[in-house]
Amino acid sequence: METLAALAAGFAVALTPYNLMWATIGVTVGTAIGVLPGIGPALTVALLLPVTYSLEPTSAFIMFAGIYYGAMYGGSTTSILLNAPGESGSIVTAIDGHAMARQGRGAQALATAAIGSFVAGTIATIALTFVAPLMVRMALLFGPAEYFALMVLALTTVTAVLGSSLTRGLASLFFGLSLGLVGIDLQTGQARLTFGIPELLDGIDTVVVAVGLFAVGETLYVASRYRFETEEIFALKGSKWLSREDWKRSWKPWLRGTFLGFPFGALPAGGTEIPTFLSYLTEKRLSKHPEEFGKGAIEAVAGPEAANNAAAAGVLAPLLSLGLPTSATAAIMLAAFQQYGLQPGPTLFDTNPDLVWGMIASLYIGNVLLLMLNLPMVGLWVKLLVIPRPWLYAGILVFATLGAYTLNNNVVDLVILWVIGLIGFGMRVLDVPVAPCVVGLILGPLAEQQFRRALAISQGDPTVFFTHPLSLSLLVIAALLVLAPVLLRAVRNRRGDRQAVGT
Amino acid sequence: MTTGRSLKLGEAGLGAAVLALGGFIAFQTAQAPGAANAVVGPALFPYLISAGLMAVGLALLREALAGKIAHGGGIELDGGAVALVSGGLIAQLLLLEWLGFVPASTVLFMIGARAFGSRRPLVDAVLGLALTGLAFTLFNYGLDLNLPLGSVFDSLAGAPD
Repeated sequence: METLAALAAGFAVALTPYNLMWATIGVTVGTAIGVLPGIGPALTVALLLPVTYSLEPTSAFIMFAGIYYGAMYGGSTTSILLNAPGESGSIVTAIDGHAMARQGRGAQALATAAIGSFVAGTIATIALTFVAPLMVRMALLFGPAEYFALMVLALTTVTAVLGSSLTRGLASLFFGLSLGLVGIDLQTGQARLTFGIPELLDGIDTVVVAVGLFAVGETLYVASRYRFETEEIFALKGSKWLSREDWKRSWKPWLRGTFLGFPFGALPAGGTEIPTFLSYLTEKRLSKHPEEFGKGAIEAVAGPEAANNAAAAGVLAPLLSLGLPTSATAAIMLAAFQQYGLQPGPTLFDTNPDLVWGMIASLYIGNVLLLMLNLPMVGLWVKLLVIPRPWLYAGILVFATLGAYTLNNNVVDLVILWVIGLIGFGMRVLDVPVAPCVVGLILGPLAEQQFRRALAISQGDPTVFFTHPLSLSLLVIAALLVLAPVLLRAVRNRRGDRQAVGT
Repeated sequence: MTTGRSLKLGEAGLGAAVLALGGFIAFQTAQAPGAANAVVGPALFPYLISAGLMAVGLALLREALAGKIAHGGGIELDGGAVALVSGGLIAQLLLLEWLGFVPASTVLFMIGARAFGSRRPLVDAVLGLALTGLAFTLFNYGLDLNLPLGSVFDSLAGAPD
């Protein structure tokens, strides 16, 4: 009941005309930017950060909630009509969604994605409402050792789960961790890796790195491939509505996707990629038409898209209640909190209940607004897809530099942006995932803080991480995540050898 | 056409770079004065991270030498376009505080559009001016941010700000 009272207070905050206006602006620009090809949710949030600088925190985060959900909706449009998923969570949607678009059923694919996102978003937001306070209560039992172990686990899942190669993921993670070292060490005041450049004393901004990797690096990569690739956009034609058959085939995948997606997002278990794949496989197994999968099955759009949105809502639970980002987008949201001098975590629920609950309430509102924005007005968003590429990417560059510059009104940030952009291009060419780098950059310093706090409490006894049962089990899970694939491969190789010898 | 062979070189380069970064961080950390009063000093994490970097760097080198690379079949890359975009960014950051946000970003817009095959610099210039002008107005007057007007124009306009 306490939760419901808090939520009601949140609605009272979110439903004031002023905040409602920011929520509406948030979902609209979130969708508009998220629809643009090459811009995923993480970049959408990063690019729109400057828009919120002049707002007071509560309104700013209400707007962020809208941007976050809006970007998720917009992203599905790009994957379906262009086959250009902006983030790993929409890769699965793109397979059958794009196949549907080829068959002239793009409107139905978009509709089942939008309604599925609404259903999943709403159920997952309800789940978030009740899970977040539970997590807060759990977090109060956590000491620094447990926090450190949890952060190690989060870093591991982000790395081990994303991308095709563990080594590449780790390279990206450690690069992010090294960037996190730059700046003044908070506990001793010693400068680390600043090379005497005063602007580096404050550290390297997560937003600059995210924009550098996602916007500049990606633009450089697209520029390098532009001459060699063609893209097709499929116009929306015919009825825009779902037929009775479509509804019948969609509603169960929506619900199943939701229940797969939320836990994966809420546990630090690697965000949206796994649940969307799981949802696809589940639907394929349960479907009466498995042969249609990969060729435009509506279930394969409905399920994964619902899973994606539910996971996106789930990610907010550890972010708000533990201060633990488990996706690149969440890392940027955490950076946004830090811009306002706020640290998400159990205390935030006590000190800023208006902000936290106002933000959660506005997620409900945002979902309704998005359904209204996306179903009747989908034709309008589709027009954004046909912006000529030279202008689109030139515009992305302008706004990327604008965002980086306005952080500190500093040209040094633009130099960092350029360097990170070039590195991002190299990573893209060599197929190194960028999300672990962004999460590592923001979590690294937090993990170090907890690590040193834990050792200060234990008076330098390092066994503290292994004698606390909770911390030990989290660390064991993290180790298993890294080692299990390696061990499995070793076992399989040996077995393969034996078979080879046997035959 | 960037072939599998140069990608393999790139991959080895990645491993070497990661390895070198690890070594560099260890060196820098060893150079920094130590802080003796803390239980865990500011040097422990840098050392841990540099050890991790070196281990990953070695693993990457091993993979590269074993031929396990991304885009095994090679990938076509247009180096000229990359150089243009990167040059455009440099031009903007050099011009930004001197000429101001609008002209500097218009230059970036034009160069960026050129890299993506636009052949109409005048149209790009007009569009770039409109876009950056709009952004400047919105951010400086609507959202109270300080995008630079340009030191050249400050004296001309005599603006107090």
